[in-house]
Amino acid sequence: MTGPLTGVATVFRRELATVVRTPGYGVLAVGLLAAVSGLLAAGGGGATGFVPAVVDLLLPTEALVPLAAVVLGYRALLADGASGELAVIRTYPVRVGEYVAGVLLARTVALVAVVGVPYAVVGVGVWLTAAPDTGIFATHAGVDSPLLFLRFLAFVLLLGAAYVSLAAAVSALAASRRSAIALGALALVAGVLGGDLLLLRSLGGGASPATIPGALALTPNGAFRGLVFEHVIGVAFAPEGGFVATGRAVGSLVGWTLFGPVVAGATLAYGRRVDAALERVRSGFGV
Amino acid sequence: MALFDPYGDPSRALRIALGALLLVAVVATAGAFAADPESAAPSPVAYDDVVELGLSSETDALMAGSARVPRTQVFYSQLQYVVGYNGVESFAATLGDGRTERQFGYPIAAYVETFDDARPGTTETGLFESTFAGEWTPAAEAVYVVGSDARSPAGETVVPFRTREAAEAFAADHGGRAVDWEAVRSRSYDTDSAATVRSMAPERWDAADERIAAAERRADRPVSVVVGEDAPTVEAAVAAAPANTTVVVPPGTYEETLTVNESVTIAGEGARISGDGEGSVITVRAPDVALTGLSVDGSGGQTRDPEAAREGREDGEVWDTNIQLGYGHGDAGIRAIDAPGLVVDDVTVEANASGLLLREGSHAAIRDLRVDGADEWQDGFMGIAGMQSRVTVTDSRFEGGRDGIYLHRADGSVVRNSTFADNRYGTHLMYTGDALLADNAFRNELFAGITVMTRPSGNAIVGNDVRNSSAGVQASGTRAYIGYNTLVGNELGFSTSSRGSLYERNVAADNELGARATTVVPSSRVVANDFVGNGEHATAGAGALRVWADGDRGNYWEGANVGTHQPGERAYRPTSPVDGALHRHVAAVAVRESPAVALLDRLRGTVPGARSGSIIDPAPATAPYSPDRLDAALDPGAGPVHADWRAELDERSGGGDEDAAMNARDRNATGGGIDPRATRAGPATRPISATRAGQATRPTSATRAGPATRPTSAATEGPGDA
Repeated sequence: MTGPLTGVATVFRRELATVVRTPGYGVLAVGLLAAVSGLLAAGGGGATGFVPAVVDLLLPTEALVPLAAVVLGYRALLADGASGELAVIRTYPVRVGEYVAGVLLARTVALVAVVGVPYAVVGVGVWLTAAPDTGIFATHAGVDSPLLFLRFLAFVLLLGAAYVSLAAAVSALAASRRSAIALGALALVAGVLGGDLLLLRSLGGGASPATIPGALALTPNGAFRGLVFEHVIGVAFAPEGGFVATGRAVGSLVGWTLFGPVVAGATLAYGRRVDAALERVRSGFGV
Repeated sequence: MALFDPYGDPSRALRIALGALLLVAVVATAGAFAADPESAAPSPVAYDDVVELGLSSETDALMAGSARVPRTQVFYSQLQYVVGYNGVESFAATLGDGRTERQFGYPIAAYVETFDDARPGTTETGLFESTFAGEWTPAAEAVYVVGSDARSPAGETVVPFRTREAAEAFAADHGGRAVDWEAVRSRSYDTDSAATVRSMAPERWDAADERIAAAERRADRPVSVVVGEDAPTVEAAVAAAPANTTVVVPPGTYEETLTVNESVTIAGEGARISGDGEGSVITVRAPDVALTGLSVDGSGGQTRDPEAAREGREDGEVWDTNIQLGYGHGDAGIRAIDAPGLVVDDVTVEANASGLLLREGSHAAIRDLRVDGADEWQDGFMGIAGMQSRVTVTDSRFEGGRDGIYLHRADGSVVRNSTFADNRYGTHLMYTGDALLADNAFRNELFAGITVMTRPSGNAIVGNDVRNSSAGVQASGTRAYIGYNTLVGNELGFSTSSRGSLYERNVAADNELGARATTVVPSSRVVANDFVGNGEHATAGAGALRVWADGDRGNYWEGANVGTHQPGERAYRPTSPVDGALHRHVAAVAVRESPAVALLDRLRGTVPGARSGSIIDPAPATAPYSPDRLDAALDPGAGPVHADWRAELDERSGGGDEDAAMNARDRNATGGGIDPRATRAGPATRPISATRAGQATRPTSATRAGPATRPTSAATEGPGDA
């Protein structure tokens, strides 16, 4: 077995082993489950169906999922570089692209477990427990359906994947664990708040509101929010749609997901110069 | 790594399992996007299981005969309950209004009751009837007869058929023409609303004035006989008196019981007629009898006649024979049987059972009546029991006993300016619609000040003051107007049990619970009420999220504007543990402003139909709507509070053309969809374009009706039903 897939597979397995041996990720998953189910319990939407459950989860999810994804990704590519293992790995016939792809694939699988499982568990919980609060009248599901929650879950994972890959890119840029944390936090804030702030700014600056569906789709959070409005919550309303350009939003999330490895690969391949530049900046600040 | 070895080659079984899992995940995700969640239209359910809106099916006109109202059942996208509409037109009228859509979503499926094989026809009074129940047909596939002579109690009714032949056959017999669903839903319907009832409340007051004035004239008759001079007993005097004269009873106590078979006035200022403790003291069996100035006591103590009720059950003739006989056949101070035009003025009854018992059309005008009932309600009966007898009561007082006034099938009754204390219920209506209960005071009522049971239609409960009782106003029914009431210090201020109704300008202060939302499917408007000092302002029973506001007008909630935000900026949820504590604990503000609460609250109103058990007011008012009444209510020394509702309603209904009234955001009017000037003729004469705008551009299928709404806007501007 040779070829690029072998390299990716080997790195993937190694990275998966790293993830599995990090008990913190298990704690993260449990914490996320507690947060998500706590939100549903406090919000009450999950008591009656999937759509109100998604309504309750939507905004907190915009913060929680990027946070979990950044935690999963912020050291993904840094650790090997810092410990010198990357230099060793590079003596093997593994190209940078294969290495980055393998790491990111494993981290994405980790995301599916750490984020996907808690959301899926909550979804199953809603499935099992949601019921009208009185049984004296005939009831029906309306448009509410597990399929809608599945759609939501798919969007959640897509959002998470975008953030994992962005965080991994940041981790490739960072020179130390501390700068990785700082850069990861920056990516998180920029992603969760920055895109919408830019959109606000551009609207305030006179951009036409007609550009919203397109512009919203450009940021990961905007794309996610628009997709959930369009394909999950909006289904309960008469067909109108137009919250976001669906193709553009999906393309944007996939694009962000691919953008990360490209940046990371480029950094690892040509990054020493960047490192040196960062080091000069750091020493200039006297850190 | 015994459990997980990433370096070892996975076993074949594991590989297959992983592959299969991946495949399932991919297929399921693809399926989730490919499948249309609404494609499976639900099948019709038994109508008994739907939540009923639209016309009442329990009005006297329907209960008393064989008439039917064609029914509809609708499955909405957000609402878990199946909604039944009495009257196809009731459903069709909701299709043009965005409120229903915002509350329930759009109809996924709608079925109408079709009468092809049910032998449809009309009753003698022109109401639609059929020998058998209809069967359910999708609304879009049915054929409808419009403009026929078949009517519902509310007016013209549309009669659906499965086949065009049957529809045309019906049209041949009863007039009208057969049209399809599109034509039905694009028609404009004269649907009576609670606003109509509001506009009629002052008219009912005036009608009561006229009835009282007419009664006064009726009672004013020349004297023919004086007891003690011309006749030894009151009974003898009454027997001797010619019709349309007055029997004078001089002051004193007369120990006798009597029956009045002639249309006379019995005037007894200072006279007391004392029965022997058996049966009723005065029995009236003639029309236009007047009783003035008398005191009556000493009736029998039998509250009901179990014997009569049992016979009635066996005969089983009329649906409510049991109650008619059971409640209508006890002992009373004054009993009237088939005695229309009765006048009771300045009379006092010390009641052992009922004070005044009216039955079989004994329509009565009653002024200045005082009934003192039993100390324990179980021992006594009603102050006034009106069975199929329309009463007009004013300036009277009812203390003790079971119910101050109990009315059964007494449509059009008026009870006003009266005082009730220490009863079980102050005023209790059953199967009684189009009544006016206004400007009464209720104190220490064991169960409730005002209660309306069954599902009557069109009652107006206005300007009453209920205190220190178990409940203020608990009115079920449809199209009720419950406004300008002052409810203080009760366990419960009012409940929103009446459907399609309007609850406005009520003051609920210092109650343990201000208001309770009860109906499972919200269909009423609750707006411009003031909630102050209640333990809890409002709670909700099972059912969809209630939006208590009308457009941009909400209610005043003490505490809603505590905090750092601009008053009126934030939606208020009286049922939330945080918002509900704001008026008692300022610290709740800090919780309310937390990101977690903010994130959860932000979109909460988005799919109201799919949520349950709570109330939201998207636009809480910044100041009380009725500050003067509120001050008076909270002043321990002040007496009953009276709202000047007649002047306010008149003012709101006067002046300006219709468009101006609809366009202006008058802070004193209940704006939005409720037109205070709506009258019975109103909606039909309104330009179609104004109310049905945009219909042409809407999707045409029956299952995709109504205007589209963005979920984001629904959260912040959804006007609501409760």
